[in-house]
Amino acid sequence: MSLSQSISISDSHPADPLRQFTKRVGVATLVLLGLWSLALWLTPYEPAAADFLNRLAPPSAAHWAGTDHLGRDIATRLLYGAGWSLGLSLAISLTGFVVGTVVGILAARSGPAGDFAVMRVTDSFFAFPELIAAVTFAGLFGPSTSNLVIALMVVSWMKFARLARALTLSLGESDYITQARLNGLSSRLILWRHLLPNILPSLLVLWTNSWSRTILSVSGLSFLGFGVQPPSAEWGAMLLDGKAYMQTAPHIMIFPGLAVLLAVMVINLTGDRLRDLMAGKT
Amino acid sequence: MKTLLIRFAGLLAVLFGITLITFTISYFAPGDKAEAIAHARYPGDFGIAPEVLQGIREEFNLDAPFFSQYTHWLADVMRGDFGVSYSSRTSVWVIFVDNLGETVTLTLTSLAIGLAAAFLLSAFAVRYPNTIWDRGAVIISSIGAAMPSYWLALLLILGVSVYLGWLPAYGTGTFAHLILPAATLAFWVMTSQTRLLRTFMLEAYNQPFIETLRLRGIPEREIFSRHVLRHSFVPTLTMIGLDMASLLEGAIIVELTFSRSGLGSLLAGAVLSRDLPVVMFLVMFFATAYVVINSVIDGVQHLCDPRNLKRAKAS
Repeated sequence: MSLSQSISISDSHPADPLRQFTKRVGVATLVLLGLWSLALWLTPYEPAAADFLNRLAPPSAAHWAGTDHLGRDIATRLLYGAGWSLGLSLAISLTGFVVGTVVGILAARSGPAGDFAVMRVTDSFFAFPELIAAVTFAGLFGPSTSNLVIALMVVSWMKFARLARALTLSLGESDYITQARLNGLSSRLILWRHLLPNILPSLLVLWTNSWSRTILSVSGLSFLGFGVQPPSAEWGAMLLDGKAYMQTAPHIMIFPGLAVLLAVMVINLTGDRLRDLMAGKT
Repeated sequence: MKTLLIRFAGLLAVLFGITLITFTISYFAPGDKAEAIAHARYPGDFGIAPEVLQGIREEFNLDAPFFSQYTHWLADVMRGDFGVSYSSRTSVWVIFVDNLGETVTLTLTSLAIGLAAAFLLSAFAVRYPNTIWDRGAVIISSIGAAMPSYWLALLLILGVSVYLGWLPAYGTGTFAHLILPAATLAFWVMTSQTRLLRTFMLEAYNQPFIETLRLRGIPEREIFSRHVLRHSFVPTLTMIGLDMASLLEGAIIVELTFSRSGLGSLLAGAVLSRDLPVVMFLVMFFATAYVVINSVIDGVQHLCDPRNLKRAKAS
């Protein structure tokens, strides 16, 4: 097992579909990031620059997605909004990923009593639905971007802890870990060399799921007024702006919603593909 | 029996953890609680005397250390005394019961419609693989998983209320007010459950006993209705339990987007007006409901599996 492991990790098998997929996703991400920065650089508008002569203008050659109630260019705001919506949720879900994985591995390796205690704490946090925790926290401590991020981070790690614990426990009984232990490898070496590389792919699939869910939460909470506050160009906050002008200028609320839908869908499909590839491989 | 006891102890520990987390949030919430109570008691009076505030602090034990306040509050909660709303000065329990109906109506209506639709869609998808039904089910469920429900709500309002003028957009009260919110939430239920039901049914089809039934000449229709459905029932039950939280979250978003009354609007209003007793009760209610529902489903699932029944009878 450890032999085949080292082979699949090295570059000697370019036909390995999982590796190919990872490379493709990497290239696609770089291309998208490049296009995004290019667009930010090329756009003639500022995200917060009001132009009262051009309020509520429908999409045109000058304003590809029209303008909003203050005459700001919606396409430009969508570009800046990607930083808010995707960036914040990326940071939140990565925090959950790291913290949850550490907690889960600790629980699995700390004996039955410690495991029970850690997992009941995890369950207690798990009981609070994300949105309710975030509304309560951000509402009581004052709606702001930082309070939204704190609230969502606090409830982001439990799924990772559960999965990391379950995977660690089941791997701990596997033959090659026993073999490694019998060979006298230190538990730290086993953790880094054998355990982590084997549980990471499943956690990565969960992470794509968590990232896309967090995008929905961040923009949803901003839409409800508990998150990123206008005039910041977060997609949910932009939707909130558009809600009042639905009858006269529906384009204000069409594009930000479409952006959320597309972003979440792309991340979900990537995660699904990753999961399918892993299932086919093992 | 022993596993049952350990599970029960775990449930109690989690419920205890929920109260601790809830209290911690409200303890550290900014703002003077005595002032909030005073403003509720003497509305319109902006120059509240320091002695009055001090009196309130003593009455509500607000100067006591964290742990002492927590145990006092916990004792009240255990006795079923959830306190009095700061803003309306009625019992939190009464306010909760007043608002519960709207949310339950919305949630159950959407759950019933969404599940029925999901069931039909996935049954067609599995019975007729590689047809438009199958592809459609997959496409709809991946769109549904990515669809922001507040945006869907706005689109429905735009199409049905603004352009067609068929249904009221905002508010509560009549049956017409329920249709759009229920449709929004039901769409989410349908898409998320179609995805799962389809997988569970396909898994059931791949079980060896299905092949045996086929060889015995059982008609395909009966195999599906008597065996595949039953087999996919247990995992579906689990997923509904796990999705309960998302369903409640969905209900809250939908309530706020459509300006409906209900627990979601109650929570948002209470949070913004710092009505701490209401906030604490609602947060605890949602968390406890989630935990209890999942424990019950765990139990039902245990009973649904014939292997466990046999074991229970043998011992």
